[in-house]
Amino acid sequence: MKINRRDFLKWAVAASVALNLDLDMDKLNIVLAADTDPPVIWLEGSTCAGCTISFLNVTKPTTVDNVLTTKISLKYNAAVSAKSGESAMQAIDKAASTYKGQFILVVEGAIPTAANGEYCILGEVNNDPLTMKEAVLKYGPMAKYVVAAGTCASFGGISATAPNTPQCSSAESVLKGTSVPIVNLPSCPVNPTILVQTLLDLILTGVPSLTTNKTPTKYYEATIHSTCPRKGTTEGKIGETGCLGGVGCNGPKTSAYCVSSKWNNGINWCIGTNSPCIGCANPTFPTNPLLSSGASPTASPTSTNSSNTPTATPTKTATPTSTKTGAPTSTKTASPTKTPAPTVTTKPSAT
Amino acid sequence: MATTIVLDPVTRIEGHLKVSVVLDSNNTVTSAKSTGNLYRDFENILLKRPPIDAAFITQRICGVCPVSHAVASVKAIENAAGFKPSLKAVLMRNLIQGADFIQSNILHFYHLAALDFIKGPQMSPWAPGYNQDIRLNDSQNSTFVTNYVTALTIRRKAHEMGAILAGKLPHVSSVLPGGVTTSPTSSDISTFKTYLNEISSFITGTYKNDANTLASIYNDYYKIGKGYGNLISYGVFDLDASGNKKLFSSGVHTNSSDVTLNTSKIIENVKYSWYTSSSKQNPADGTTTPSPGKSGAYSWMKAPRYSGMPHETGSLARAWVNGDYKKGISVMDRMMARYLETEKIATNMKTWINEIGTGSGGYTEFKSPDSGSGFGLTEAGRGALGHWISISGATTSKYQIVTPTCWNASPKDDSGNFGPIEKALIGTKVANTEQPVELLRIVHSFDPCLACAVHVISPEGEELSKFIIQ
Repeated sequence: MKINRRDFLKWAVAASVALNLDLDMDKLNIVLAADTDPPVIWLEGSTCAGCTISFLNVTKPTTVDNVLTTKISLKYNAAVSAKSGESAMQAIDKAASTYKGQFILVVEGAIPTAANGEYCILGEVNNDPLTMKEAVLKYGPMAKYVVAAGTCASFGGISATAPNTPQCSSAESVLKGTSVPIVNLPSCPVNPTILVQTLLDLILTGVPSLTTNKTPTKYYEATIHSTCPRKGTTEGKIGETGCLGGVGCNGPKTSAYCVSSKWNNGINWCIGTNSPCIGCANPTFPTNPLLSSGASPTASPTSTNSSNTPTATPTKTATPTSTKTGAPTSTKTASPTKTPAPTVTTKPSAT
Repeated sequence: MATTIVLDPVTRIEGHLKVSVVLDSNNTVTSAKSTGNLYRDFENILLKRPPIDAAFITQRICGVCPVSHAVASVKAIENAAGFKPSLKAVLMRNLIQGADFIQSNILHFYHLAALDFIKGPQMSPWAPGYNQDIRLNDSQNSTFVTNYVTALTIRRKAHEMGAILAGKLPHVSSVLPGGVTTSPTSSDISTFKTYLNEISSFITGTYKNDANTLASIYNDYYKIGKGYGNLISYGVFDLDASGNKKLFSSGVHTNSSDVTLNTSKIIENVKYSWYTSSSKQNPADGTTTPSPGKSGAYSWMKAPRYSGMPHETGSLARAWVNGDYKKGISVMDRMMARYLETEKIATNMKTWINEIGTGSGGYTEFKSPDSGSGFGLTEAGRGALGHWISISGATTSKYQIVTPTCWNASPKDDSGNFGPIEKALIGTKVANTEQPVELLRIVHSFDPCLACAVHVISPEGEELSKFIIQ
């Protein structure tokens, strides 16, 4: 769809006002000069597809139909694209070549790096399978920006949890050494408001201010606990309305936007269901145990649950340790010296 | 001269799927293979963790049916503890799972499957698309496209409705061993009902009309893609605290007769799968030892069988086993059964939301056992889902997951029987090998979810070079 210049400008001005930004007319004109909506290519690696589904759930700054028809030109997304097979793969390649240096590459999921990346194949080009790793290495440097949507793409996340046989890695670590700017948008799944607004920010004003984790400062600077409405309230157990710090809530060590934006059009959020934050936006997610204070829901010595008939010793908690540091982060990224296990037969080189 | 069609990737599914078929000189499919293209190590990720972690982590198997994984997981953990949740917990789980079923079924019909039958908007990401065997006239097609967009809104609202009790979707916070942690207010219940009414109107109006339109225009698809005709359902939506009575009952339809589900008859085959772990094991005893390059194997999906036979699972199996729909087994029967269950679920949610009441009572403080084992069976949108857990030393010592797509997209079993999707493809005539929409219609009718297929899936090794058809 050709962009309607007037509509685009109108929207751009409104977005800039809403974001309290100065409108950069030069950048806007570059976007408009492309004579198309700003192109986006979305690749799925080792993922549950939850970030795609979350993207479909967006309501702010606008709904997904509006995003797709008037804001960006989504050249490829495996869940949405009409055509299967080689023509799907050609669509990716054509878009990347045509819009080299202009498009945004969205990476969903982690990138398996063991065995030359063969734990994740995107599709075939000329009967030759293209791995996610190859695709990110090929198209990442051609992109203007890379957006890591969700915790797996940002930090490895669930996909990179030990034992991590496929040696899943983040987009940033796979693209290490290249100069393409990367923005990480962790949480599981990605917060759709943050995703869409960041795409628009990149198009309109360039890379926003980032934290050391390469996450946009405006969304990830503060911990959930710092503005949690339950901060300072009486401690509660799971299923109760109170501060959940005593049952392992990760809010104090998790930087995310949940308190302000909540989820699903602002309907609710995890703590709103009397369930502790599991720290899904953290570089260390998922820690072992997830509820890492050691005071898991099993811990209360005053349990009145009569229908539950455990064989447990009454004072022991079910969590193996009460560490506050969670899982070791060394399993998060593939060590180049580590032997891939199990060994996978290498396909003929794709190059 | 045989020719091969390779569809890699199959888009408009969840996850990474490749389908290859061999055609004879009449362009009729004589053999088929389905291959997953992503390996995830989920069952090993869960080990040496507190069992409760599985309730959160297994949801991340699938962003489309996370609630079903949460439910299967908490049922398995509760089963190991000998615990039964309250009726309020059961009904709140139904409402959350029901909301996710509705969004999933609407997503499937409009956004995953429809583009095999209609022309999408002529822009990315809908173009390039298919123009083979598009039978709708311009006006019908235009209505469909409009409804495609409306359906985006309705499925989003189904998730918003679910999040009232679930915290967020995908990936809920409130479904834990012990029940559902949410304490709904009267305002929450009222908001839920408002959403449900709007969504129900869409289902019984727009969705119903569009399903009927497709079914009448493509009525030859009532005779295409049957497969074996064997069906299995674990049952879903408990109607009492015991879990014995369900909205969709469990059961099996094998060789034209209906039988009671007996989980000990579920056996996983691995002869044609890239595993060296023992074949023919029940999931409770099964292990997962990957062995890429294993001689003779062509897929990383295991091949679950019931009484030794391949079985299809999903909306049609649920409807059939429950006696709701027994007209036939085909592409279009699957589409119609999926519509009918969506309507049925929404109708029953109107009852459940009136029964849950406000405030606490949905969650009972829960302690996982230090040792024990259990299983949890439920249904995801695309079929039967089971989790099996063993606990020792207060942590998970074994976890096995059998997902619906393991049933549907499985490879051949040890006896050489094709998997259900493979079988459904065989015998199909392809009019235009450049645009094999017939194959896509069949594959999509199963709503395959490769994200879900967990240990199913495989790095492709040498099988590609071996997969040469002369």
